[in-house]
Amino acid sequence: MIWETVRLSLRSIRRNVLRSFLTLLGIVIGVAAVIAMLTIGSGTTQKVKADISKLGSNLLVVRAGRPAGPGGPGGLDQAVRPLAEKDVTALVAHLSGARAISPASQKQVRVIFGTESLTSGVTGTDSAYLDARDWKLVSGRPFSDSETRSGTGVCLIGETVRQQFFGAGDPEGEIIRVNRTSCKIIGLLEPKGYTGFGQDQDNVVLMPLHAYQRRIAGNRDVDNIYIAADDRTPTSELQPRVEDILRDTRRVTPDRDPDFAIRDMTQIADAMASATTTMTGMLGAVAGVSLLVGGIGIMNIMLVSVTERTREIGIRLAIGAHEKHILIQFLVEATVLSLLGGIIGILIGLALAGLASATLTIPFAPSPAVILLAVGFSALIGMVFGFFPALRGARLDPIDALRHE
Amino acid sequence: MPAPLLITFDKVWKSYGQGEARVHALAGVDLAIRRGEFVAIMGPSGSGKSTAMNIIGCLDTPTAGTYSFMGVDAGRLDRNRRAQLRNLYVGFVFQGYNLLPRTTAAENVELPLIYRGAPARERRELAMQALAEVGLVGREHHTPAELSGGQQQRVAIARAIVTRPTLLVADEPTGNLDTARTHEIMELLTRLNADLGLTIAMVTHEADVAAYAGRTIRFLDGHVASDTLNAEAA
Repeated sequence: MIWETVRLSLRSIRRNVLRSFLTLLGIVIGVAAVIAMLTIGSGTTQKVKADISKLGSNLLVVRAGRPAGPGGPGGLDQAVRPLAEKDVTALVAHLSGARAISPASQKQVRVIFGTESLTSGVTGTDSAYLDARDWKLVSGRPFSDSETRSGTGVCLIGETVRQQFFGAGDPEGEIIRVNRTSCKIIGLLEPKGYTGFGQDQDNVVLMPLHAYQRRIAGNRDVDNIYIAADDRTPTSELQPRVEDILRDTRRVTPDRDPDFAIRDMTQIADAMASATTTMTGMLGAVAGVSLLVGGIGIMNIMLVSVTERTREIGIRLAIGAHEKHILIQFLVEATVLSLLGGIIGILIGLALAGLASATLTIPFAPSPAVILLAVGFSALIGMVFGFFPALRGARLDPIDALRHE
Repeated sequence: MPAPLLITFDKVWKSYGQGEARVHALAGVDLAIRRGEFVAIMGPSGSGKSTAMNIIGCLDTPTAGTYSFMGVDAGRLDRNRRAQLRNLYVGFVFQGYNLLPRTTAAENVELPLIYRGAPARERRELAMQALAEVGLVGREHHTPAELSGGQQQRVAIARAIVTRPTLLVADEPTGNLDTARTHEIMELLTRLNADLGLTIAMVTHEADVAAYAGRTIRFLDGHVASDTLNAEAA
């Protein structure tokens, strides 16, 4: 009986292909929008989380300047006193609970090999940097302590730099020019891919801090200090210790704001992930409104359908259909219609999300729960918005309905 | 021994409107039809014959008085009960055939069985049998648009008899047909009446159509004006 009714409704939908399609469009667009939004959104959340963990897990980053806070943006009301190597030395000497502490200074610099050139992020640092950032070498070796100390012209390059200059070849031992200084490649970094903001993390050159300071930056500043917590120490516990030590070495009395900022990457990761989730939810809700509009479209077309088929309803009632038979017939028709729209919408939504994840290089993260929900919701919309027209059909008087032209 | 009563009207009134504007389509009609009778119902428009037919077919209920069908007080039953009664015991044939468009003859004939909850195979078999009885073998998969008026009316008759009803209500069944087709349809109805013992109540305007029936009831102004047995049946 129910299967009979489903077949009947499919036939009536097929009979008015164009009309059914236009009716479906509302639901299709609504469901496609919701599915695309939620799928892209959860992909973005995954990507953000992965990116932050690529920076290194349980990582604190110290930079010069007042911390951004309720008082306004990081203050530039006075000249910022940069971080220096003695801050790093103090941390190495006094900080407990850290797995790795590493200074790093960065600059975008033109890198040349032969006739090829590339603008790359050049970082001056020491051998602890790889550990702090959870970064591994594919081949070669890190800087030795003596190289770090003396500022030898050696460097580690990222995958993008290798591809630009050497293709798939082995870069080790080759000499590249960084700014106006030459630099021997001693190792290749493991690829990290793009960040959520489209930044290529593999377009990098690492060199010993002293070499960077002397030959590239021309000063003795340290831009950032990376501090990786060990497994037993949460970053929230490490942060005040870092602040104490740095206040001490930088002679910032407790009554004054520190002239440095400590960022906790884990917190940032969580904050960004929750921001993306909120955003996703809001976009999904906006898309959901179009589902409502789609539902009204279904109601409209079902009212037309009931009126059009008044005579058919009259015949059915005359030969013994109960009210509930007519009600179910039109309810099933509305439900099948909107379910069809829902399924088409899901396919389009997933296709859109797939396209978006390919172009934005975010993971394609379709959620079975969301898809199931969309199927259920579109069926529900059909039932809810189909109910009133169906009831109207079921309540018709068979004599009047048979007289209807 | 006369056949048992199938239909009785006991002072049946059917009124529309209120107060001054109140109109009586039926004004205290008494009527009895026995099982196996073939009754023609005639009368000018507005005479109350259509209203009487709607009540006979359990589509409508009297305002006052009692309509009993197979001994059941059908006038007091609710919509769904009457629908069930129609489905089990009444077949309908209309002037305009009233087949579902774009639906094959077989599917049209199956329709009443669907509301009985009959399984698909049984429905198909009964529909084929009914179509054979009305002489439409080979036309099962034609849609109404592919059939002539006479053939469409045969499909409608097949749909009416597929449930093996007790009563067939025919509302001007030949109104849209030419003389030859009229004759064929009336022959068919007469045969169903004789062979299956099907009770038939048929509204018609034409005396020669009414002549196929065994009895003619004339309505006028909401009353039964005459009730006569036809010559050849008498």
